[in-house]
Amino acid sequence: MAKLYTITVNGTAYEVEVAEAGVTAAAPKAAAPKAAPAPAPAPKAAPAPAGANVVSAPMPGKVLSVNVKAGDAVKAGDVLMILEAMKMQNEIMAPADGTVSDVRVSAGSTVNTGDVMIVM
Amino acid sequence: MSTQEKIEKMLKKSEVILAAGGEKRIAKQHESGKMTARERIAALLDEGSFVELDRFVRHRCTNFGQEKKELPGEGVTTGYGTIDGRLVYVFAQDFTVEGGSLGEMHAAKIVKVQKLALKMGAPLVGLNDSGGARIQEAIDALAGYGKIFFENTIASGVIPQISAIMGPSAGGAVYSPALTDFIYMVKNTSKMFITGPAVVKSVTGEEVTQEQLGGAMTHNSVSGVAHFAAEDDEDCLKQIRYLLSFLPSNNMEGAPIVETGDDPQRTEESLNTLLPDNSNQSYDMYDVIKAIVDNGEYYENQKYWAKNIITCFARMDGQTVGIIANQPKVMAGCLDINASDKSSRFIRFCDAFNIPLLNLVDVPGFLPGTNQEYGGIIRHGAKMLYAYSEATVPKVTLVTRKAYGGSYLAMCSQDLGADQVIAWPTAEIAVMGPAGAANIIFKKDPDVEQKTKEYIDTFATPYIAAMRGMVDIVIQPKDSRPVIINALQMLESKRETRPAKRHGNIPL
Repeated sequence: MAKLYTITVNGTAYEVEVAEAGVTAAAPKAAAPKAAPAPAPAPKAAPAPAGANVVSAPMPGKVLSVNVKAGDAVKAGDVLMILEAMKMQNEIMAPADGTVSDVRVSAGSTVNTGDVMIVM
Repeated sequence: MSTQEKIEKMLKKSEVILAAGGEKRIAKQHESGKMTARERIAALLDEGSFVELDRFVRHRCTNFGQEKKELPGEGVTTGYGTIDGRLVYVFAQDFTVEGGSLGEMHAAKIVKVQKLALKMGAPLVGLNDSGGARIQEAIDALAGYGKIFFENTIASGVIPQISAIMGPSAGGAVYSPALTDFIYMVKNTSKMFITGPAVVKSVTGEEVTQEQLGGAMTHNSVSGVAHFAAEDDEDCLKQIRYLLSFLPSNNMEGAPIVETGDDPQRTEESLNTLLPDNSNQSYDMYDVIKAIVDNGEYYENQKYWAKNIITCFARMDGQTVGIIANQPKVMAGCLDINASDKSSRFIRFCDAFNIPLLNLVDVPGFLPGTNQEYGGIIRHGAKMLYAYSEATVPKVTLVTRKAYGGSYLAMCSQDLGADQVIAWPTAEIAVMGPAGAANIIFKKDPDVEQKTKEYIDTFATPYIAAMRGMVDIVIQPKDSRPVIINALQMLESKRETRPAKRHGNIPL
């Protein structure tokens, strides 16, 4: 039997099913947190990696460009994207070394403070 | 008893107290990476300068068999000594004695050095390492805390008060440090919270570790409760000595003048090319600070919290200055709730202790958003206006780039009493962002693009403000250091008084 778990990663709750090898578990579905945009379903049938870094918008603004795509390896301090906000082209940097697993914005997207932009 | 016997008796009594909680507990203290109270005092003060007071103070609790208990030194070592030759009062709680718990006489020892420090006009350093109130002593312990808080408040703004958290500090115990000027927290060993993880879990159901709830980096980067983080006890005590080197001993003195060996006339070519040509691109304000202060040396307050504003102590031609600087690299250098809190408190500390203020301005505005408005950015932002207006120390403002609208006033424009406003040619002193302003003015103009460009070229400059006399001097960036030092020297004799009042009512 597959067991259902709720895993919260940096404030976003994910429902995941975990089963022993040989038993098929349904693909995880993301539990949409209230007031936050529904996170895209995890690409693989694996639980959201514990300790994933979420890059969220530090202030309301418009995405000018995105420099990475899912699967890219990045180093801490690498510029992931440019967010135009407060009359400034703000460089949004990777908080740690890692691999980008999800990019939820594209050039032109408008974001609010706290919106998740990139998961890695 | 002969005199010799009396001397021996005294030495014996001392020996018992110096042994503190005994070898076993001292070993445990060392194992957990902590120094003992006496080791800490020895590391903090100039060698051999410590004079201990109240060594023989004893508790007088008779509840629950406490009367039979000997608690060496009452769990706290107090006295005075010197740091860089200057008088400092100190107390250090001794975790090896009844967990450093605070009882009536423990508190009385602390209150005594608090009063002495105030009377002598010398800084007070508190080294906290205590399990909290000594419950057996009931409300006598509670009253002890109250007396300490009261003395902290009375001494606020008269002598620098510094707290180091070097172990647990929970419940009411957190409020004495909170009332002092600066809080140091030692990584891994220090914890501060009103209620610990167990209570949090029972009340809210949240599972949280002690470190997550109240560790050094939580309070340094999330809550803003602490001002400095230290790697270990030794680092913490060294940092306290360093901080005090920037500060006067009390509110009637100036900060010590130090011979730094840096040429006050030194110009810095790199500043002429630091700013990107596009004013929508960021640069690192630390590069400006390093270029203008003596030997590029500064000591940063709350460096992990509200990083969109930088607050630090540095020296210019040997004289301590307090620097408040927008950081364009973080959140565009905008002002928000936390940045307002951080800078206002720093400004008021400097004003209380005769430390001139140097304001480095590149501010696009206050951060918009519901969380800022609901969180009360209006009353928090008002603190900056209040703190700058109230301050009577020399105030020098250097505008490097953006200085837009109300946020420029909040960074100490001439109207808020800046004694000298200096601008780089890149300064954009305006009522709001020029693109936005042009959009309003030329909204219906068919030639809006060209007009906007002209508007930016005319209004996004220092010259409109300079024409009104709102900017005193426009300089090349490379000349910043000599010009600022000259301004500070000119302002040495500044005298400014405010109407007599009981006290103002800062928006809190």
